[in-house]
Amino acid sequence: MKAALFIPCYVDQIYPEVGVSTVRVLRKLGVDVIYPEGQTCCGQPAFNSGFLDEARGVARHFLDVFEKESFDYTVCPSGSCTTMVSHYYPFIFEGSTEERRAEVLAPRVRELSDFIVNVLGVTDLGARYEGKAVFHCGCHQRRELGVLNEPQELLGEVEGLDLLDWENEELCCGFGGTFSVKMPDVSTAMADEKIKALEKSGADTLISGDSSCLMQLAGRLWRTGHDTRVLHLAQVLDSEGSA
Amino acid sequence: METRKPTHERDTEDHRREGIASPVEGFNERGKKAVQDRELHDAVELFTNKSVAVRNAALHALPDAPELRERAYHIKQQTMANLDEYLAQMADAVEARGGNVFFADDGEDVTRYIGELARRRGARIITKSKSMATEEIELNRRLEEDYADLDLEIVETDLGEWIAQLSGDTPSHIIGPILHLNLRQITEILSEAAGEKLPPDVEALTKFARERLREKFLAADIGITGANFGVAETGTIATVTNEGNGRLVATVPSVHVVVMGIEKLVPRFEDLSTFVQLLARSATGQKLSVYTNFVTGPRGEGELDGAEEFHLILLDNGRSNLLGTEFEEALYCIRCGACLNVCPVYRQTGGHAYGSTYSGPIGAVITPLLKGDEEAKDLPHASSLCGACSEACPVGIPLHELLLKLRSRQVDEGLAGKAQEIAFKGFETTMKSPALYNISTKTGRAVQKPLTKDGSVRPLPGPLGGWTKSRDLPPLAEKSFRELWKDGLRDG
Amino acid sequence: MADRAEFLESIRHRTRAGKYQPTRAPDTAWTPGGSRKERAPIEDPPERFLEELELLGGHGKKVETLSEARDYVLSLARERNAKLLVRWDVEELEALGVDELLEEAGIEVVIWRDLEDFREVAASADIGVTTAEWAVAETGSLMLVGGPGKGRSVTLLPSVHVAVVPVNRVLGTVPEAIGKYSDGEVPANLCFHTGPSRTGDIEMTLSIGVHGPGEVHVVLVERSDAT
Repeated sequence: MKAALFIPCYVDQIYPEVGVSTVRVLRKLGVDVIYPEGQTCCGQPAFNSGFLDEARGVARHFLDVFEKESFDYTVCPSGSCTTMVSHYYPFIFEGSTEERRAEVLAPRVRELSDFIVNVLGVTDLGARYEGKAVFHCGCHQRRELGVLNEPQELLGEVEGLDLLDWENEELCCGFGGTFSVKMPDVSTAMADEKIKALEKSGADTLISGDSSCLMQLAGRLWRTGHDTRVLHLAQVLDSEGSA
Repeated sequence: METRKPTHERDTEDHRREGIASPVEGFNERGKKAVQDRELHDAVELFTNKSVAVRNAALHALPDAPELRERAYHIKQQTMANLDEYLAQMADAVEARGGNVFFADDGEDVTRYIGELARRRGARIITKSKSMATEEIELNRRLEEDYADLDLEIVETDLGEWIAQLSGDTPSHIIGPILHLNLRQITEILSEAAGEKLPPDVEALTKFARERLREKFLAADIGITGANFGVAETGTIATVTNEGNGRLVATVPSVHVVVMGIEKLVPRFEDLSTFVQLLARSATGQKLSVYTNFVTGPRGEGELDGAEEFHLILLDNGRSNLLGTEFEEALYCIRCGACLNVCPVYRQTGGHAYGSTYSGPIGAVITPLLKGDEEAKDLPHASSLCGACSEACPVGIPLHELLLKLRSRQVDEGLAGKAQEIAFKGFETTMKSPALYNISTKTGRAVQKPLTKDGSVRPLPGPLGGWTKSRDLPPLAEKSFRELWKDGLRDG
Repeated sequence: MADRAEFLESIRHRTRAGKYQPTRAPDTAWTPGGSRKERAPIEDPPERFLEELELLGGHGKKVETLSEARDYVLSLARERNAKLLVRWDVEELEALGVDELLEEAGIEVVIWRDLEDFREVAASADIGVTTAEWAVAETGSLMLVGGPGKGRSVTLLPSVHVAVVPVNRVLGTVPEAIGKYSDGEVPANLCFHTGPSRTGDIEMTLSIGVHGPGEVHVVLVERSDAT
């Protein structure tokens, strides 16, 4: 099994350790991991802001980079960026020459937990993490990808991890890309609602499959004096003991 | 491990009050005020949590709900594709039953028709049952102004709408018009109307409203209702209420006027079965609304009650502009309010922040479509695009995709602003070129150095200031993933 | 003012000339999705109707004969200290034979025919008595059809509404009830009443009997031909 890593730009720049954990987890499962050189961003910020031409420009670059390589699947540690490629590339290229290219790539781009559970057929990675955690499923992952149970299945096998329910867990964290800076007050109030639910759950750890949601929630958690541990799913699956 | 949790004491003060200027000022400003209002927040939270819970339960209990949703979508699609024919059929059906039909382009047309009708009938009191279409065209205000000589008394009869009317307020939710008011505030409003101090007790307040409005129901010369659905085949108007005010307004006065948006049509009488089930369950979690009333024309021969005169006003007011466009699906809406209840933005701000008759995701979609993009430039951005609205919609409107399309239309129309245009051009150029991407990484790291303190970026000016005012911002890593890859990760 | 022909022509133009033809079904998952449950068959529709009505805050009773139904109406009128009762002018209620007994008990009965001022009568009545075209088990609804002798106000203005309904008129579901009119022949008024009038407009607190009747009673009669 050969997988091409798609490391979103903000993971590359801000959270490289999430990428490293992704590599380690995949290698542990015997996957041959390659990293297509020259990849940058999927174009989502422009797309979400309505700048479709600009999004298409970036998306074309993405297609060029990934088409150069040969692999079975593209694996990405972000439900949101996966969605951009798998769902919205066909949409923005509708009726253009790239439509076919986008449609060929789309079904092979898989979010990390989706890939592990549904392609590799594995749920127990032998990970160990001590803590009481809640899982926040990013909205694209939940609604566009429908990959909601897979992270829970994986986390359910992590030794020492107590996965808790939390109130209104389906609510958005308030990130929403440029929304978080265009509507900062509402965006922050949305984070506060999640944090209130997190406090109520008694969790000491917050896990998500999207580092962007975590950037939002951690940014607010820390500003408001919390010391919750904040981890990407890949990091938990990569854990072997001490937190 | 990730957790770049800084080890020192954090500034835990909430800096949100300062906010930032933003190209989407209207909603942002109102939203900012709304999120600081704790009473409002608690009221909205109570309403939305409860509404979502009862809706989920009611739909779970209906095994064929997904099929109904799909059928509803297709019925609406068929309706819109042949709307002219269905409208003609409906008009003919109403006229065949002895009713009158009037086609109105806008609120002015509606006002003139009803005003002249009131003059002819010598009407004094008009009762109204909750109708978003008449809210949209501000019918009450217009009638009072344009027909001041008639000295009309126009009374909203839905309890919530009446309380809103008494206090000069507007509805903040399609289903719960005064969810933004609490018991204390409502007691004050009704006490003033009563001319005496009423106890802050829901039963007592309701009893007062019943008595006061009962007089109006009986004395009214004209009753105005909206329409939840109109049936082309039979000319039937379906209205649903829980209080019974809709049925009273349509039954007691001699004249019944229906103001119906042209998109409320369904082709066949039998289609009502699909829609009334979806509406009640999605709106209030009921199996059926208490009074699900189907009126076809004026009272029949030998009947003592029901209106003698029946008028149907079919209102366009910008709706037809959506036909045949990529926004057509917005016309499928049945005004159940489910998208408001699940919307994480609405849940923080309530309805008034939208500054429109229609709030929440559907409001953010149809307000610019009915009023023009310039008029409601901020609304398509009042969403994190989480998709909860599309998921909740009982007729399958892809609401968050329509918001995306509206954003893109703004860009095409040049409404996004120069700053954003330049920023996203730059974004494209950078992201298309790995070399530029690497340079910007290096620049970013150099620039952030003096700005970084204790493991997080200090409050910034400019657009990112919106982030740093209320949230910590992590700095760029010392080594990016691609650098780590080259530096040995590649080789395991 | 908009002219019908122009109005419709402009709509025809927009729908026909439009480029956008949405053809797909809704493609977002729906929250109530998940595991499909089979619709539980309604085994005993009258029983289910009574259960649903109780859940709504209404009162229901199944009786064997019309005389039991008559007793129900009579004792309810007495308990409520009713002064005036208004009823539909229909055979079912003639057969009930409760009028004289009510009058004997000092309760005035007005029958819905040839009224000078229907508003006055319906608004001052304490109880309205009707039958129903259909009852719907799944929702606890009455389907009331207006017509000569069958005033809509009788079901609305008095604070107590009593319906005496032959048990064989209980249908299973809303689609079944609406399906009765699938030929498009509909009466001037047709209304589902599903429990007592209610509102939750003040802080989501349920309040009963805001404009319509706060009390709803349905007597299902097994053998409506027998007294």
